[in-house]
Amino acid sequence: MAMASLLFAACNTTTKTTDKKVSDTTKSTLASSPAKKDATANLISDYLKLKNALVQDNDGQAALAGRSLVVSIGKIDTLSLAAAQAKVFADISADAREHAEHIGANAGNISHQREHFETLSGEIYDLLKTGNSTGKKLYYANCPMYNKGKGGNWISETKEIHNPYYGKAMQDCGSLKEELN
Amino acid sequence: MKNSSKVFIGIAALIIGLQFIQPSRNDQGDPLHGDFQREFNVPQQTGQILSRSCFDCHSNRTSYPWYTMLQPIGWWMGSHVNKGKVELNFDEFSTYSLRRKQSKLKSIANRIGDQSMPLPSYTLVHRSAKLSDREQKILTDWVDGTLDSLNQNKR
Repeated sequence: MAMASLLFAACNTTTKTTDKKVSDTTKSTLASSPAKKDATANLISDYLKLKNALVQDNDGQAALAGRSLVVSIGKIDTLSLAAAQAKVFADISADAREHAEHIGANAGNISHQREHFETLSGEIYDLLKTGNSTGKKLYYANCPMYNKGKGGNWISETKEIHNPYYGKAMQDCGSLKEELN
Repeated sequence: MKNSSKVFIGIAALIIGLQFIQPSRNDQGDPLHGDFQREFNVPQQTGQILSRSCFDCHSNRTSYPWYTMLQPIGWWMGSHVNKGKVELNFDEFSTYSLRRKQSKLKSIANRIGDQSMPLPSYTLVHRSAKLSDREQKILTDWVDGTLDSLNQNKR
């Protein structure tokens, strides 16, 4: 009996602390930005991890980021998106997910990862054009050489060029096209 | 001597036994792949190359060479077809979204260009699926042209 009440008490304390945590996070989200705006933040952050892995020529890290991108795309609740964003998301999600899956499955073949990254970047760009949920300034950059001179674009969190298409061989090759607020 | 002949008989029985386990066949689709051919207005020559080198693994209808009746070759072929259809299915191409069509066309041109498709391990056995340099160029040129026209019609 004593044991049971002890357990009960223990449960109670944990519930209380979690409650407190939840209300804390709600408060901080509300303070920084409306809840709606956070919906795509994880997706963008996984994309940027992927981009940075490709800049470093790190196919293993790129695959990991690709796999977490698959998860973050799957977790997006379209109801929490603004109407225009939901429309673009519905349009890109299946394809973007497939690219992320391929990137995740192709550690050891970085050129194949980069090829999928190129199309994926265009899709993420279209999504960002309907609203940047990260609260940070993002940039759209271009590498004119990629894809046999047709060019390839990417989204970056830095103004400085760090080219994900050729890695260390041509790290600062490319130019800024656009600022995404 | 006696032992080795027993082993031989055992292997022969196993191989014969295998023949009774036939894999399911991929034969539900339109043999002419009309939906795809019509949507993209595929020129005859391009269509013939696609039929010979691509459709067997990337559509709902495979025309099976005779030797795929032999097991385990048929199983091996079956696994190629299953994997191929997941990545790209010409008989379902018309149902893909515009973005997916563009992605897939891009990948088609790239895979043919870097010669990873048709799979070298596949053409080793299915010699007739191998693409000559000229055929590669016909296909990639056609894909590039189709991509350009899809991009123009986008907006």
